[in-house]
Amino acid sequence: MTISETLAGALGLGAVNPLEDFVLSLVGAALVGTFILLNTAVAGPWAKRKITAAFTDRIAVNRIGPFGLLIIVADAVRMLSKELVIPEGVDRPAFDLAPLVLVASALLGFAVVPMGNGIQLADPTVGLAFLFAVASIASVALVMAGYASNNKYSMLGGLRAVAQNVAYEIPLVVTAMSVVLFTGTLQTSEIVAAQTETLLQLGALSIPSWYAFVNPFAFVLFLAANMAEVGRNPFDTPEAPTEIVAGFQTEYSSVYFVLAYLGEFIHIFLGGAILATVFLGGPAGPVLPGFVWFTIKIWAFFLFTQWCRSAIPRVRVDQVIEIGWKGMLVLSFANLLLTAVIVGVIV
Amino acid sequence: MSLEAPEPATQADVGVTDDGLDYDALEALLGDAVVDRETHLNAEAFVVRPDRVVDALGVLKNKAGFDHLSCVTAQEYEDRYESIYHLKKFDDPTQEVSVVVPTSVHDPTSQSAESVFRTADWHEREAYDLVGIEYEDHPDLRRILLPETWQGHPLRLDADQEQPQVVPLREHANPLQEDHPGGSDTMFLNIGPHHPATHGVLHLKTTLNGEQVADVESDIGYLHRCEEQMCQQGTYRHQIMPYPDRWDYISAGMLNEWAYARAAEDLADLEVPEYAQVIRTMSAELCRIASHLLALGTFALDIYGDFTAIFMYSIRDREVVQDILEDLTGQRLMFNYFRLGGVAWDLPEPREQFFEKTRDFLDELPSRLEEYHNLVTGNEVLQLRCVDTGVIEPEVAKNYGCTGPVARGSGIDYDLRRDDPYGYYEELDWDVITEDGCDNFSRLLVRLREVEESGKIIDQCLNLLEEWPEDERTIQSNVPRTIKPDPDTEIYRAVEGAKGELGIYIRSDGTDKPGRFKIRSPCFSNLQSLPEMAEGEYIPDLIAALGSLDIVLGEVDR
Repeated sequence: MTISETLAGALGLGAVNPLEDFVLSLVGAALVGTFILLNTAVAGPWAKRKITAAFTDRIAVNRIGPFGLLIIVADAVRMLSKELVIPEGVDRPAFDLAPLVLVASALLGFAVVPMGNGIQLADPTVGLAFLFAVASIASVALVMAGYASNNKYSMLGGLRAVAQNVAYEIPLVVTAMSVVLFTGTLQTSEIVAAQTETLLQLGALSIPSWYAFVNPFAFVLFLAANMAEVGRNPFDTPEAPTEIVAGFQTEYSSVYFVLAYLGEFIHIFLGGAILATVFLGGPAGPVLPGFVWFTIKIWAFFLFTQWCRSAIPRVRVDQVIEIGWKGMLVLSFANLLLTAVIVGVIV
Repeated sequence: MSLEAPEPATQADVGVTDDGLDYDALEALLGDAVVDRETHLNAEAFVVRPDRVVDALGVLKNKAGFDHLSCVTAQEYEDRYESIYHLKKFDDPTQEVSVVVPTSVHDPTSQSAESVFRTADWHEREAYDLVGIEYEDHPDLRRILLPETWQGHPLRLDADQEQPQVVPLREHANPLQEDHPGGSDTMFLNIGPHHPATHGVLHLKTTLNGEQVADVESDIGYLHRCEEQMCQQGTYRHQIMPYPDRWDYISAGMLNEWAYARAAEDLADLEVPEYAQVIRTMSAELCRIASHLLALGTFALDIYGDFTAIFMYSIRDREVVQDILEDLTGQRLMFNYFRLGGVAWDLPEPREQFFEKTRDFLDELPSRLEEYHNLVTGNEVLQLRCVDTGVIEPEVAKNYGCTGPVARGSGIDYDLRRDDPYGYYEELDWDVITEDGCDNFSRLLVRLREVEESGKIIDQCLNLLEEWPEDERTIQSNVPRTIKPDPDTEIYRAVEGAKGELGIYIRSDGTDKPGRFKIRSPCFSNLQSLPEMAEGEYIPDLIAALGSLDIVLGEVDR
């Protein structure tokens, strides 16, 4: 069920013609986009500060509004009212496009993510492939930003980003493939549907057949690769503030900085959404509506990234690449083979 | 070490007798390079011809075991220039000797000692920069603290302080010009003067080969505040003591004050009451803890790349020390608590409260340190980053004059508190910490373990202070209102600062102000060794090595 059908049902329209379908889809896209941006707005200026503060024995924002929530408004006004400095010698329009591509690629990914309660913009049969393809466009944006900024730190950051994304994209996709072996489809709604059965019944507690439980090894691999994919500690080398200032976003200010920053947060949420869809049963969960569970799951991943940020040292850039190519890649292929054998023999 | 290696002990023993050094034996060793002998308060000084510096220093280093060029002082007299090389032994820093190299006013040129002691590179550049002595065969005789475009040499007797020194930008070379030599595989990168990881205004001119550091050169002097000259313009009694707080301002103030106090007290032959010595020892160790905790926090910041729990925890614990120091001195940063002949005032009343507060901190300390070990040194990712990176071998470290935790992290068992005792350290039970790793991790570990030792020292001091009879609590000896040491008395004295050997050279000119006041900054020498640690490694290792050196630019630039 896609969002246009859901909306049509809610509005009591019954069967819709293509034009109505188009309009409803646009409305749905606006709703989904707003929801994601809303999450990012809460996460960026407020939740991130609060979470990090909790990890480091501090209090963080608590002056403006209840729990300091109005800092979101204050920050937005502050960031948007800053002067947009575009350095001489930057390569336009690549410099201007990079933040947009970063945000767009991440937002586009949510188009095929089933969010529960019939909220899913589109449900193509190649859903999962589309998801990874779109998410990795971000690498292009990082290279653009790094190259176009005409700054050596940006350049280093851009190069690191590409090297890292290439090294971790493959284990990520290969690990996801091991799940596809179970489901036999790339359609995201089908993958979610495949996880609804009960895996184990322990008294009153029934453990669903989420792939995180069916194939925990793949889950851990995927989680680690995902951290590198979204560029968070211990794999935040593309930004690495103490080494290369701010990496690819060094030269970005004001609105462009907000966009770049936003893009990163949306990417974390997208990373969480992929994780939820492939391994955590998508929007599935007891009592609460599916949409709420979906939100909880993407926030759980966000929380996890912040936890790592506060607790794990950054790995050196050559170590990142080494872990990617020598460790993750081998393990992910081993996992794939093993899964293939198990699926072939048992299922 | 191979079995065929010559036994170095016999060489180092030239002139060593039971009651101090036999300088005649050393003079005989030096032969005709010596033209005269001077007596400084800390050691005898051989006056050496300007064209025999390398010979003389080479003999003293290789044949007599003076392997530590602690400091190079340059100064101008009415009739000559003088470079003084203060030599010590890492094995026993009480065995000292100075080499004085006079040069004529008209042609102040002498041989460079760089080929014997690597550390002389920067020291001689500083001498050239501030006093204007030229060193022959110096590999890189440029200004170091002042800008390239500076006119004249500020510590010369005829330096015109009214001379305008504003240099228009066009006179600078375009820094981008040589940046694009073309056809080269390397990239030049300016790290700093404003960069998240330089711990102050330090400029690292880095040449990168991909992500690897091909060459790194520190550009210092951004924080030069003419501290030596300012000290030369203050009177011994009161006007100099506030300045040391401003050298290593990362809460190591009292350790710096002690450096001046020790030099000046020995110069003017002042006694310090034992009670005051105990207070000094305690307050200095509190400063050391505060300093090391900050070093730990910022090092974690460099490695983790974010404000993490470790940074906040170390700041939290340092805050307790700062509160104690505030109770004691009334200040949190610029303590100005030491006086010549003692300290400014006694412990704060009620004393019990002070003892209790400090004891509470000491009681907490072991559990806190365990927490740090769990969080930091036990962290495998951190070990991955720090073990075997930023390696500096002990011989190299000695050559660069590295001291403090940097030297001790390379296994050099050198701590002036034990080896050249002052204060009350000799009476107390504590250990000198060394680690053999020579890497970033060892330096981190040394600092953490030194905090533990400092805690032991403070605890013993508290016991002593608590039981000290009330009528014997003398905090200051009788010190003349005006101190005027005899003219041309010279002394070089060092203490173990938070970062290493902090030495002061003072030459009196018969007035109540020093004729020459020279500061030997441990950070200055330690920072010079950065290329040895960083070259061939990755940028993150360079940052980690810089963090593990724990420099304070206020002390590097003075």
